[in-house]
Amino acid sequence: MCKPTPYQPFSSLKAQNAIVKAFSHALLFIFAAIVVYPVIWMVFASFKTKSELVSNIWGPPQWLAFENYAEAWRIAGLGYALANSVIVSIAVVALILALASLAGYALARFRFPLATFILLLFVLTMQAPVPIIPLYAMLVQLGLTNSYPALILPMVAGGLPLSIFIFQAYFRTVPRELSEAAVVDGCSPFSAFLRVIVPISAPVFATVAILEFLGAWNQYLLPLILVRSPEMRTLPLAIQVFFYDWGRTEWAQVFAALTIGSLPMIIVYVLMQRQFIQGLTSGALKG
Amino acid sequence: MAGSLYVEAKHLLKRRRSFARWWHSLTPFLWVLPALLLYLVFKLVPMVGGLGLSLVRWNGIDPPQFVGLQNFERMLSDEVLGPALWNNIRYALGTVVSKNVLGLFLALLINQSLRGREVYRTALFMPVVMSFVVVGILWAWLYNDQFGLINNLLRIIGLGSIAPDWLGDTRWAMTSLIIVDVWKWYGFHMVIYLAGLQTIPVELYDAGLVDGAGRWRRFWNITLPLLRPVVIVNVTLSLMGALNVFEIPYIMTEGGPANSTNVLALHIYIQSFKFYRMGYGAALSYALLVLVSVVALIQIKLMSRGGHSAEE
Repeated sequence: MCKPTPYQPFSSLKAQNAIVKAFSHALLFIFAAIVVYPVIWMVFASFKTKSELVSNIWGPPQWLAFENYAEAWRIAGLGYALANSVIVSIAVVALILALASLAGYALARFRFPLATFILLLFVLTMQAPVPIIPLYAMLVQLGLTNSYPALILPMVAGGLPLSIFIFQAYFRTVPRELSEAAVVDGCSPFSAFLRVIVPISAPVFATVAILEFLGAWNQYLLPLILVRSPEMRTLPLAIQVFFYDWGRTEWAQVFAALTIGSLPMIIVYVLMQRQFIQGLTSGALKG
Repeated sequence: MAGSLYVEAKHLLKRRRSFARWWHSLTPFLWVLPALLLYLVFKLVPMVGGLGLSLVRWNGIDPPQFVGLQNFERMLSDEVLGPALWNNIRYALGTVVSKNVLGLFLALLINQSLRGREVYRTALFMPVVMSFVVVGILWAWLYNDQFGLINNLLRIIGLGSIAPDWLGDTRWAMTSLIIVDVWKWYGFHMVIYLAGLQTIPVELYDAGLVDGAGRWRRFWNITLPLLRPVVIVNVTLSLMGALNVFEIPYIMTEGGPANSTNVLALHIYIQSFKFYRMGYGAALSYALLVLVSVVALIQIKLMSRGGHSAEE
């Protein structure tokens, strides 16, 4: 009957909008370039020879000096480092997914005494950083320094609160009837969780997995303190040690090491940017 | 005889049932227990144990020696602690303000129907997936006095005379580190601000437009008040990060030159693992934890109280 008149922007406003848009494009492009160019430049530099690095500062390499990679790989022990980082990160993610999904489900679904207290305990202590000195003292007494458990278990503990929080927030949105129907059909609550709830919760598992994998992959402080022998170093630690030993002279090789340490993750990120951005901001947006 | 057997059977059944109920009431704990145990052992116990450690003198090898509150007294005469605290405050101010202003500004820009939004967003968020080690070392070279990109850029645009030795000059080192931290995170904060902006109903802006409010007025009177919760999240995140910052100064300057980039977490690390004063390090960690908690409480309280007065 009575339609409101659609809003008609004035033509001057339209022109103004076009200017604002052009201006926005320019600024966004500049700030994106400030982020992206150094990274592209890092890859360029990793293929330059030592002399080209200082003669051809801005552009792409004249030819590909793959020996930077070979040398960095050999001297920095990146083979070990890569294997350690993969082992540690996968173990951390697997443990966190298992423990946090179970705990998150119980906290969201079952009514039991202390449930609120336990959730509060996790949330309130979440922001406190891992207490590295007492942790170090404890692991020294247990004779666990320089071992995989020493790296993995504190990282799991560090990642648990936020993961549990994300899981429980998600499981609260899953209709109760789903698991109840399975229990009526004769499933135990646990197998109902495994067979009915987990399969439909793939996105939240992916969110937590990305968040925690990246945290473990880039973790630097724990390996710095707990690793004693070169073959136990993880990727960030091995790269940093290589930089300290050779950074004054062998910059091109350092850039090769940096590229090995970051480019694979950047490529995966670009391919799955939606999931990455969602996963890495979920802590901030749910907290 | 038969009667008493019946009673006994009934009794047994009842006991079994109550056992089943008891067992049933325990099952939720079984779900939570693995996570809780691991968290207790590797986070909460060390957190509490740190208090004990802060009361001893321990070099990491010999048996610890009880010294009472000496470690806390020592802070008062620690000549590096004051500057480290001051540096940390400057670092926090610099990063929190820049990250939030830049993040919000870019979020406002990208929150229009622009072509290539996804590309901008992907690019701007990218440093989040890079480790501090990679970022720190990369920037150490960008800052290189002679061959670094930044000073070369300054020379190209004719400002070569003011090109400083970024990391080697006490006047510039702290600013240089702040820039790196902001570079790594401004895209992250932009994405969170963007999520906040997208929850604001468009009708409000239409109403503002009809009332003749300009861009600035609309931002100031509509966007900012409605964005308050998101501002709190962003400020809290960046503030916590800044007060606990370790990797960037450790990797890029080791606190130098002349302690001009030494911050609290770095001071703690050096005391504990370079000078082997574990007890003192633990005491300092506690002081830092208290400082961070108090600052966080004050900040959140101040910012959410401001919200009430704006709404009234």
